Amino acid sequence: MEALAISLVNAVPLLAGVPLWTVTLLLMVVVAAVILVFALTFEGVGSLVLRKVAGDIQARIGPNRVGPNGMLQFLADGVKLVLKEDLIPASADRLLFKLAPYFAFVGSFAAFVVVPFGVGLIAADLNIGIYYVMAVTSLVVIGVLLAGWSSNNKWALLGGMRAAAQIVSYEIPVGMALIPAVLIAGSLSLQDIVRSQGGLLGIFGWNLFHNPFTFFSFFLYFTAAQAETNQTPFDLPEAESELVSGYNVEYSGIRFGLFFLSEFGDMFIVAALATACFLGGWNVPYFNAGALPWIWGNLLSLGVFLTKAFTMVLIMMWVRWTLPRLRVDQLMRMAWKYLVPLTFVNLLGVSLWLLVFQGKGIPGMIASLFG
Amino acid sequence: MGLKAYMNDIVEAVVTTAKGMRITARYGVNPKEEVTLQYPEERWEIPEGYRGFLHNDVKKCTSCTMCVKVCPIDCISLEAVRGADKKMVLASYDINIGRCMYCGLCVEVCPPKSLKHTAGYEMASVARGELILHFIQEDAAEIKARVALQVAEVAAKEAEAKKAAEAQAVTKAAEVPSSETESADLSSEAVRAAKEEAGKAGGGEPKATKEEEKKPE
Repeated sequence: MEALAISLVNAVPLLAGVPLWTVTLLLMVVVAAVILVFALTFEGVGSLVLRKVAGDIQARIGPNRVGPNGMLQFLADGVKLVLKEDLIPASADRLLFKLAPYFAFVGSFAAFVVVPFGVGLIAADLNIGIYYVMAVTSLVVIGVLLAGWSSNNKWALLGGMRAAAQIVSYEIPVGMALIPAVLIAGSLSLQDIVRSQGGLLGIFGWNLFHNPFTFFSFFLYFTAAQAETNQTPFDLPEAESELVSGYNVEYSGIRFGLFFLSEFGDMFIVAALATACFLGGWNVPYFNAGALPWIWGNLLSLGVFLTKAFTMVLIMMWVRWTLPRLRVDQLMRMAWKYLVPLTFVNLLGVSLWLLVFQGKGIPGMIASLFG
Repeated sequence: MGLKAYMNDIVEAVVTTAKGMRITARYGVNPKEEVTLQYPEERWEIPEGYRGFLHNDVKKCTSCTMCVKVCPIDCISLEAVRGADKKMVLASYDINIGRCMYCGLCVEVCPPKSLKHTAGYEMASVARGELILHFIQEDAAEIKARVALQVAEVAAKEAEAKKAAEAQAVTKAAEVPSSETESADLSSEAVRAAKEEAGKAGGGEPKATKEEEKKPE
């Protein structure tokens, strides 16, 4: 960010007199605003698409009343959420009740900081990118647990407890499934991971096709992440049919809206991480986006990244409307008896592969065979 | 659980998930699978024999009260009076459509087939009273009064006609006996009795003959 500020000061002579930290701070605010707008737009449109996809899959039509073909439904929903009365139950723990939605929202929004949108489009290329995402998304658990506890409602409490058990359990396979990408790139930074999948191999340079273990790793990550973000086959914290609405049952108005937004934000984060770590990120196949002029390179890579990420989001929705909800014991069994051992075996496999073949993947070896 | 069972579990999970995803994808892609009816714009075709709201063709109705008697929940109420031409005249015919359970018994039982189910199924009201369908718009009391008036008129006419007929009969009878004064007194009495009896039943001629028999006394 500071490098960008310095280049901006050099480019615009008017800013020469302004202290550097002011420019940097202003830039940060602008970037944060841009990302927030993107996140909110995604969350709004995502909710509409989710309902449309649900309609298609369930042989219905879905929202089609507000605007052409129901396109403005999410605006109506947003306005409704903002205008609704903000109710706090009399027996609730008021402070925690008010605090919980912010934890949930901040947890999902802060992860957007390290999402590599394009060649140079990343708010902060932290050298511990993946670690940061894992750490920051854990805030969501705290938010959900607080919401469940402070509502003083048995359903909310059950939802909150389930969420805590589930998210903490699934954090392990998620992390373990992401590590193969880190091993291959040799870096925790998401930009480095994306760059490691570029090159002349195109699609086959992706970590997904690096070796059989990374291939499985992708699916393990996707499954575990689906559970970590409370998507439907694993939506026990919400479980509409048994817990009414789970941890957010007592929330209304904009506080409920924040939970809602954080849920969709998590969805995008999962899709973005899957894209960055396994599907080549913003790399344009057979093409070096970094060599293009700054604007075009970034636009092209942004387009590629968003296409992949949105496809992943669509697949998540598809899974969401296909599979029925698991029982609590099934969920835990799946985490501890299946996903955790499998991800460990995978990690071991990838490590051995990298050790034995000096970091080369199958496509790389085939390519080197033909020169 | 052995390793084999463990692996089988994983394979089963993957295969069944893939199967489900294939089915939902087919539904998601194929727009023909949509079954939603966009209600206010689109409507379903009403099947033959559909039991919608009840409608009574009051011109055909004979006020036989069969529908009232057969209705299991007493949602039909009917008031009728005997008209001047001896037929029943409907004063009011109400169906509480809010209570009706559309069993169709009243329609089956209706002898002149005046009560029918229509295809109507849309109705909204803000008060329960609006759910009572009035098939006769006029006030029941007015109809009753009007019919009573007609009946009275007809009765009066009949009575006059009878009076005339009796008077004729009396004069005929009076011509036969010799004493005129007695007969005149008797005749006035006889007319009064005839008037009383005319209200009860018709057929003046036989009575007239009766009075002729009485006279000699």
